[in-house]
Amino acid sequence: MLKLPNLNIGKISLLVAIMTWLALLFVDITRLFGKINQLDSSIAPEISYILQIIFFIMVYLFFHHSIQKSEKSNFLDLIWRGASTGLLATVVSLLISLFYYMLGDSRLASDPILKNVFYHIDFGFITLFLVSCTLLWKHLILYQKNKRIVNQWQGFEVGLLISMFFVFFNQNSLDYSFLFGLGVLVIFGISLSVNLKWIPYLTFKEKWKSILYLVVILISSSYLFIQILSYSSSLTPYLNLTDNLFLLALFAFVFIYSLFSFLVTLFNLPTSSVFEQKLVEAINFQRLSQSIKPGQNENQVLDILMDSCMSAAYVDAAWMEILDVKGNRNVIHQRFIGNKERKELQKLIEETKPFSDFIWDSKLNDSKTFIGKLTDFKYKSAMIIPLVIHKKTLGKIYLVKEVKDGFNKEMTNIIATFVGQACISVENYRLLNEALKNERYKEELQIAQRVQRSLLPSKLHHDDSFQIHGFSEAADEVGGDYYETQALGEGKYAIIIGDVSGKGTSAAFNMSQMKGVFHSLVQLNPSPSEFLIKANSALSHCLERNHFITTSYYVLDTVAQEITYSRAGHCPTLFFKAKENASEYLSIDGMGLGVLRSKLYEKYVHQKVVSYEPGDIMILFTDGIIEAKNQSGEEFGYERLKKSVNGSHELTASQIQQKIIEDMYEFIGSSSLPDDDYSLLVIKFLQKPQ
Amino acid sequence: MLKIETTHDSNFTTLHLIGEVDASNSIELDEQITGLVESGAKKILVDGTKLEYISSAGLGVFMSYIEDFQENEISLVIYGLNERVYQVFRILGLDQLIKIKSDKEEALRV
Repeated sequence: MLKLPNLNIGKISLLVAIMTWLALLFVDITRLFGKINQLDSSIAPEISYILQIIFFIMVYLFFHHSIQKSEKSNFLDLIWRGASTGLLATVVSLLISLFYYMLGDSRLASDPILKNVFYHIDFGFITLFLVSCTLLWKHLILYQKNKRIVNQWQGFEVGLLISMFFVFFNQNSLDYSFLFGLGVLVIFGISLSVNLKWIPYLTFKEKWKSILYLVVILISSSYLFIQILSYSSSLTPYLNLTDNLFLLALFAFVFIYSLFSFLVTLFNLPTSSVFEQKLVEAINFQRLSQSIKPGQNENQVLDILMDSCMSAAYVDAAWMEILDVKGNRNVIHQRFIGNKERKELQKLIEETKPFSDFIWDSKLNDSKTFIGKLTDFKYKSAMIIPLVIHKKTLGKIYLVKEVKDGFNKEMTNIIATFVGQACISVENYRLLNEALKNERYKEELQIAQRVQRSLLPSKLHHDDSFQIHGFSEAADEVGGDYYETQALGEGKYAIIIGDVSGKGTSAAFNMSQMKGVFHSLVQLNPSPSEFLIKANSALSHCLERNHFITTSYYVLDTVAQEITYSRAGHCPTLFFKAKENASEYLSIDGMGLGVLRSKLYEKYVHQKVVSYEPGDIMILFTDGIIEAKNQSGEEFGYERLKKSVNGSHELTASQIQQKIIEDMYEFIGSSSLPDDDYSLLVIKFLQKPQ
Repeated sequence: MLKIETTHDSNFTTLHLIGEVDASNSIELDEQITGLVESGAKKILVDGTKLEYISSAGLGVFMSYIEDFQENEISLVIYGLNERVYQVFRILGLDQLIKIKSDKEEALRV
């Protein structure tokens, strides 16, 4: 299988260039030899021209390749390469001149063949220098390229290529067509030479260096040009290689671009510090706007902020004052000033207008700056910038300068921008931290909510003689409302409603204990008072010291049409008597479960019986309903609940429940959400089917 | 919002509760009472004239001291509660365990 070797264009083109140059030298010397000895050598000058063109193209390819390889090198390196090649070509040329100078009037000095050899050497180095410089300039011209510049450059290259072949047309004589061609290429070169966008990116020091290199290039090219001119005037017997349109055009281009660069760099020197400053500000801005990474803290952002502000306004001393959680003022990031001096200066600043206008609690500190004069011995002007997050001032930066009126508009603007960005970064950081904390808390709450919801029954036990409808809504936090029913047999039903003190996860767990207690005790078919006594003694062992559960327990006997009930600290039950078309709260004494954790509790448990008739309604509820507040802080209260029931007694149990909740919502207003949970059980007694 | 002010008299200490006692600040109330017990107070009056609301967590604080106070013969009297707040105590049954009086004179007579 044929395998193509990995071609190295750079090496090959260099090799071919050297070989072409040797061939050119050989051809020319042979021709010269023939001429001198009047032999009839038939070597046409076209052969030399072709070899010359191949040499040009190979050198062009070589440098094109080698510059592309060093794509990443900076401008200074590039210019240095041009300058060093220029120096080399000049030194070689000088050495040749020196050699002839030392030969004096000897015979060797006038030997045409030796002279021609040196001429070829000079020609080779000049070509190297011009081509390498041209390609370097290409790199600089195309630094910030757009389509137009690229097209222009390609046009220029085509022009150069054509100019190589021009030699066939006019044999390197300076006629009008030659001058026209040169004129076109020079104008082309000038139009390209205005692309000097790389210069502003040099630092002050780099600009000096590049000026030096450019001077070297300018001198080299001038010297070599003069050298060429001297050759062409004294070179009649040989083939003229250097009065070539291509070479002269390159001379013009290299010289013009170097001159332009030199002048522009020189005139850019005084303003370069401004550009550098802007660059630093842009980088600082970027650093500030990057949100704080994990593991870093606000302090690092404030540190960058201080550096940025100081360099933006060339201040002589600065410090930052930050309010901590307790509202104490702490000085951090103190720069170029001692503690004692700073304290005195701060006191002075705070007593001076306009700095004394600063108010910590003001909501209008955002994007405000305080700039003014100081009567201090050393520092003459000062600036204060508050750091504001969410209209809250969390600190301020003090900047002081030794000159009067040291803060101009640009400085103030850029500092205000820095401060704004830093505050956003700090705020984002705080929000993120808060969000993470909340996320964990929310997860915990969700678990608790799931537990709580699973504790409420999905189905309530009843028969045809009464309707029962339950409703429970937890506020954003987990609550501890609880209700449940159980069929006891023989038309008897146990009903319980309760409210666990506290909120959150602990409430949900206490509620699940209550549910356990209910399901255990209901098996024993206890009377309401027995239930409460036993539940109290059971819960006394598991409730935390400051927790209690309020509950009401009912045994509904549909045969006797009566309800036996006991109350343990829970809100009284509302009972609507259809016959009287009025409702009353069932009054009975009682005490919350867990309030008194001893035998003494029994003393406080009471039990009552109430009989009912069809159409009567019983409303069991938790205190969330009564305590629901409207915007002016007024509670929904017992009377409004009563009214709500009286007005809806003809409806079904579920409709009554909806009506009560609607009334309550209407009362509290949609804007304020209740901060408690509220539960409701509506029981409506019906005519017993015969 | 809850503000607790303490005034010391020769033979009793008064806690003035101003504002609302809820789950978030009931700990404050608890700390105050614990502090008084530790400092050896034997008679504590709770001034509820400016108490606007008390949640179950607040009731839990008073409840948790009942047995301690009986054992250590510390008397705690609450006075000046408005009707709504008093009802909250009453419904839970705390009025049967804690002395609740209408004004300071009555409270002092206990």
